[in-house]
Amino acid sequence: MLACRDLTVAYGDIVALRGVDLAVNAGETVALIGANGAGKTTLLQTISGLNKVRSGEMLFKDEPLGPRSSAERVRMGIAHAPEGRRIFPGLTVQENLIVATAAWRRLGKSCEAELGQVFDLFPRLKERRHQLGWSLSGGEQQMLAIGRALMSRPKFLLLDEPSLGLAPRLAEEVYDRVGRISKTGLTILVVEQNTVLALAVANRGYVLETGRVVLAGSADELRRSDRVREAYLGR
Amino acid sequence: MADLIQLLTNGLALGSIYALTAIGFVIVYSATGVVNFAAGQFVMVGTFAGVATLVNAGWPMPVGYIGALVVMALFGALFYLIVYLPLRASPIVTVIIGTVAIGITIQNMALLTFGSWPFPVPSPFDGMMIDLGGTVISAHAIAVVIATGVLILLLWLLMHRTAIGIAMRAVAQDVKVARLMGLRVQWLLAFTWILAAVMAGIAGLMLGPMWFADVNMGDPIALKAFAATVIGGFGSLPGAIAGGFFVGLAEVLGASYVSSAYKDLIAFGVMILFLLFRPQGIFGEKIQDRG
Ligand SMILES: Nc1ncnc2c1ncn2[C@@H]1O[C@H](COP(=O)(O)OP(=O)(O)OP(=O)(O)O)[C@@H](O)[C@H]1O
Ligand SMILES: [Mg+2]
Repeated sequence: MLACRDLTVAYGDIVALRGVDLAVNAGETVALIGANGAGKTTLLQTISGLNKVRSGEMLFKDEPLGPRSSAERVRMGIAHAPEGRRIFPGLTVQENLIVATAAWRRLGKSCEAELGQVFDLFPRLKERRHQLGWSLSGGEQQMLAIGRALMSRPKFLLLDEPSLGLAPRLAEEVYDRVGRISKTGLTILVVEQNTVLALAVANRGYVLETGRVVLAGSADELRRSDRVREAYLGR
Repeated sequence: MADLIQLLTNGLALGSIYALTAIGFVIVYSATGVVNFAAGQFVMVGTFAGVATLVNAGWPMPVGYIGALVVMALFGALFYLIVYLPLRASPIVTVIIGTVAIGITIQNMALLTFGSWPFPVPSPFDGMMIDLGGTVISAHAIAVVIATGVLILLLWLLMHRTAIGIAMRAVAQDVKVARLMGLRVQWLLAFTWILAAVMAGIAGLMLGPMWFADVNMGDPIALKAFAATVIGGFGSLPGAIAGGFFVGLAEVLGASYVSSAYKDLIAFGVMILFLLFRPQGIFGEKIQDRG
């Protein structure tokens, strides 16, 4: 589905990703773990076309992404639930969801089927569909951010720290839904600092440290590796 | 009493013009962050577009109005292409100064084209008066107030009930995420400028018969619309509407009951009081909606 080859990305003089090689196959859920500032968000934003590639390349479904705009990438099937949720605060829950259908919806076409799917997955959003975005709790906003990404009919879902700032019980609830989405066959790349939660839903994972991939393997291998246990699982 | 009804009607009609100008100002500001100091010139161009189609070309009313609004839509698209697009990557202050400069340019181009002599502009209600048992009020003024009410309703429906309107609000609240959701931000911003120009054009067509078409009419309108947005709450659409009507009423009532020399004192005095004591304006607390 996605392949990054020798990818380098920089903000001016600050090099955030150095020669990253990474692949996500169709149907897989892949976890990307790493400490603060490792470059995880930078990688997801680069996949979505918000950051420029300095060198190396990215292929999506075997096609080079090149200089395509974010809007075009969404039309190709890349959806993004950004770090910090970034719900549109002055739009209602339903409007937040409808906005993300721009990629495929033509004038006069309905998106009731997609709305129904999101509301089945997150019934709480249905109850609050006419509430403004800013008035939701953190957990509800995260569910809305994921639901919003699903509205674009994605083939590849990018999730940036969905557990960020959530109480443990809520974080588990969110990951329960990520697991369900993954079971529908959707390909997912999830960035996370909560390594336990992320490795529980992922088939494989990558560990990023200061812009480099330092470890890659199946979820089980990573859970057992000394490096991950010491640095990210705290034992 | 009879007098008061007349004054209120005229005040609301003038307030309608200020409200529409302020709305154009606010939709551009919230979508692009640009304080468009050429907003008053947009109204002037609207009035002269009407002069060109109705007077110079002699087209009949409905065709002339539609023609003038098509001209305004093109004007908005052109403004987006040759003023906003080249400047959008510059610091916001540069863009603002750019709008001042282009406003002066537009004014002088109008002066070269139409001269400094004021033109009368026709209205479909020319000479028509409505008799309210003793008080006669101008049919044009009533039509202006009704048309403005309808336009505000249509604008609300556009922003809340159509995909393009919801997308425009999303862009205004978070451009980066709007991109991530697949919105074509540049097209939406172009549409925003076109919408603002058409609103200003309608204001200009309605204002023409109330004043005269004068190439210098843009500045006083911009100042009043600016006062309206400060009083209503900078960036707030309901604020632009409430502020516009307030300034229009204050101007007309002030001229009649205080002195026409001081008619602007009330509106600008209130604006200064708001700046000092409630800088967020009447609807200012809603600013959190914009994140
Ligand atoms: N807009 C920016 N301008 C300059 N430097 C940036 C910018 N965004 C990120 N960086 C830098 O790039 C590096 C990687 O940041 P990034 O946000 O990708 O890390 P992250 O792994 O997502 O961290 P976190 O877990 O804190 O979200 C950091 O050193 C950061 O300071
Ligand atoms: Mg991050």
